[in-house]
Amino acid sequence: MSAAVPDLERFLKRRSFIELSARDRAEALLDPGGYHELLGPFDRLHSPWLPMQGIVPQEDDGVIVARGRIDGQPAVIAAIESAFQGGSMGEVGGSKIACALELARQDHEQGIPTRPVLLLETGGVRLQEANLGLAVIAEIQAAIVALRRHVPVVAVISGMVGCFGGMSLAAALCSHLIVTRQARLGMNGPEVIEQEAGIEELDSSDRQLIWSLIGGEQRHAVGLADTLVEDDAVAIAEAVRDAFRRGLPKQPRSEQVKLFLERLAAIDPSQPLDGKALRALWDQGATA
Amino acid sequence: MVQSVEGRAAGRSWDTRGENKARRLGSVAPWAEGKVLPAGRIIEALESLIAPGDRVALEGDNQKQADFLSRSFAQVDPKEVHDVHLLISSISRPEHLALFERGIARRVDFAFAGPQSLRVAQLLEDKKLEIGAIHTYVELYARMFVDLTPNVALVCAEKADADGNLYTGPNTEDTPTIVEAVGFRRGIVIAQVNELTDELPRVDIPGSWVDFVVVADRPFAVEPLFTRDPRHINDLQILMAMMVIRGIYERHGVTSLNHGIGFDTAAIELLLPTYGEALGLRGKICRNWTLNPHPTLIPAIESGWVESVHCFGSEVGMEDYIRARPDIFFTGRDGSLRSNRVLCQLAGQYGVDLFIGSTLQMDPDGNSSTVTLGRLAGFGGAPNMGHDPKGRRHSTPAWLSLITAEGDVVRGRKLVVQLAETYQKGGQPVIVESLDAVQVGKASGMPIAPVMIYGDDVSHAVTEEGIAYLYKAEGIEERRAAIAAVAGATPVGMKANAERTADLRRRGIVAFPEDIGVRRTDAKRSLLAARSIEELVAWSGGLYQPPSRFRNW
Repeated sequence: MSAAVPDLERFLKRRSFIELSARDRAEALLDPGGYHELLGPFDRLHSPWLPMQGIVPQEDDGVIVARGRIDGQPAVIAAIESAFQGGSMGEVGGSKIACALELARQDHEQGIPTRPVLLLETGGVRLQEANLGLAVIAEIQAAIVALRRHVPVVAVISGMVGCFGGMSLAAALCSHLIVTRQARLGMNGPEVIEQEAGIEELDSSDRQLIWSLIGGEQRHAVGLADTLVEDDAVAIAEAVRDAFRRGLPKQPRSEQVKLFLERLAAIDPSQPLDGKALRALWDQGATA
Repeated sequence: MVQSVEGRAAGRSWDTRGENKARRLGSVAPWAEGKVLPAGRIIEALESLIAPGDRVALEGDNQKQADFLSRSFAQVDPKEVHDVHLLISSISRPEHLALFERGIARRVDFAFAGPQSLRVAQLLEDKKLEIGAIHTYVELYARMFVDLTPNVALVCAEKADADGNLYTGPNTEDTPTIVEAVGFRRGIVIAQVNELTDELPRVDIPGSWVDFVVVADRPFAVEPLFTRDPRHINDLQILMAMMVIRGIYERHGVTSLNHGIGFDTAAIELLLPTYGEALGLRGKICRNWTLNPHPTLIPAIESGWVESVHCFGSEVGMEDYIRARPDIFFTGRDGSLRSNRVLCQLAGQYGVDLFIGSTLQMDPDGNSSTVTLGRLAGFGGAPNMGHDPKGRRHSTPAWLSLITAEGDVVRGRKLVVQLAETYQKGGQPVIVESLDAVQVGKASGMPIAPVMIYGDDVSHAVTEEGIAYLYKAEGIEERRAAIAAVAGATPVGMKANAERTADLRRRGIVAFPEDIGVRRTDAKRSLLAARSIEELVAWSGGLYQPPSRFRNW
């Protein structure tokens, strides 16, 4: 291999987290050994709604729930598999996440310090399951809020799907959000905006533009994500451990109502606003 | 004594073209600033310089476009300029068809109509457009020197000086060829440039071939058409790439080649430094390329696989990388790439041992086409390289390795490889009983079906099921059996006979992955030398600067 770039060897040899399946991602974040999957594919828990619409279901419904340890402490990870139906949230997969969070809360009430981690690669609600998907996202959100009093709820958005729709609100409720440069976080996906408002409003094929608005680096720079980390399984695992070492935030982001209202008030909607301008604007707000 | 010959008119002028040209030049001379046309009067200039019924060559291929001139041309008054016969490589831009909708142009000879293929079919049906013929690239240029010499050429370049010397930058592509055809037959050459300057980095086209230059309102359009994001390469494409490297490149010792554009071939490029290296093939295969500067070739170049690359055109974002690798690429004294589509096509036709490309459809005889129903897409340059040139006389081990006949007089053969996943996304079979092209050809009144690569030129067909070594097949019937054997679960593949397939495998006419030492389970994305655009940038040491649509930073 070439020695032209000193970093090249390390960069290419790193274990890309994005390249991993949801199952491998979960395993990569847990301490070695002791990975144990709950409601795995052999439990045959698939969506009853997809076959009715001619879609082959998956026996884990695209959500992997795994137990193990993080930094020696008991942990549970819920990982969304973006390769199945774009990581969309259906009734079964969503319930698996909500139950995992709920059981973690019960653990804490019994003195077991289970650490919860969510790996969010999802376009949001699964359209084929409509209101059932929306309802279960609400359950996930309620479970995060209930659990985050006891322990940091840590979420990772690594890419390449990103985290959108109702699940972007779930991400915002988490105590600690870890993103890569490849991640995206937003309510409506760029394709949806282009379709609804026209290509003049937003060209969803302009990746540089999209990532400058809702990409991981931008979201971190404006304080909507806590840790920006390279697409490297080892680095992301360390960032997760570090998030738990830091403990509970003084105030969850979603309770910092005054700060964010002031930030919104600082925006003049009549003026065009790009990612860079928002960083400049909100950086001032952050110091206040 | 010379007899008077009937028809030899006394006093005939032998320079009517020159006189005609002088008259037209005279009409703009009062206000043109020497060779420089003011951009604000370009429409008026085109109305004066182009006459009804003219053949006009509008520069536009699948990469660069003289878009200021095409946008201006579409605005001329159809009462002044009409019935134009347009010659264009690639009908790519909306205004190309506005010329027909507005009645400025009537007839077109072209090579490719990818993005506008639906509208072309529609205008044809509405009788607003007549097609002379759908050509391959080189064919269209060839005819500019025979029976379709244009009266006017509208071309583009990066920079010009006041004398009309042109600097094309890395995207030289077709410009010298079009200008030569027009400039040396008393036609009028108009070049749009991004910038007028006193000193050019290099001269790609001498000013004496050029009549006018005009500074465009914005830089000419260039498409990054040859960039494939490795993130979208899947395991199936990797399996096919492994088979190609083992079962074709290694087996035949292919050292010189052209790759069509696609994720299949991008996968091959990205496997050379990993899978190819592990097989000890560096230096033995894939040394000399006729290829656009594919970003996915960067890891192979950096790992010392590649000796030379001659390019049809450039690729957006690769400029600095090319400049820093003059041992590999053809570059000018200014350091930037010199590309030339016609010469690269010629090189890809006669100079290389192998062409490989993907197809959207293949029939049981191995004919393939990218034409699908309702679209008149054309061929581009694939057929120019995707055939066995019978005029070749030099031999190489790869060329000789395809000899199957015995006797005192035998000839070698170029490897023409067609790649096809048996099913497209959406469950459409790729290997079909009859090409859509047959129906499209009939519906459009074409004398023959628009086939991209003819089956008898295809030496190897590769699917995820295996390789059919078609050059070894004896007779059309055996050929069909070999294609069916690798056609998977398509209707064509379902007809394959298991015993027949076993016999073909025994005789080496068909190979499944395990027959050539390829393990299906090894076909993983982790084999790719780069799995994302970011990693390509890292391989290039930061020299490759991908355009914004490929960046997420």
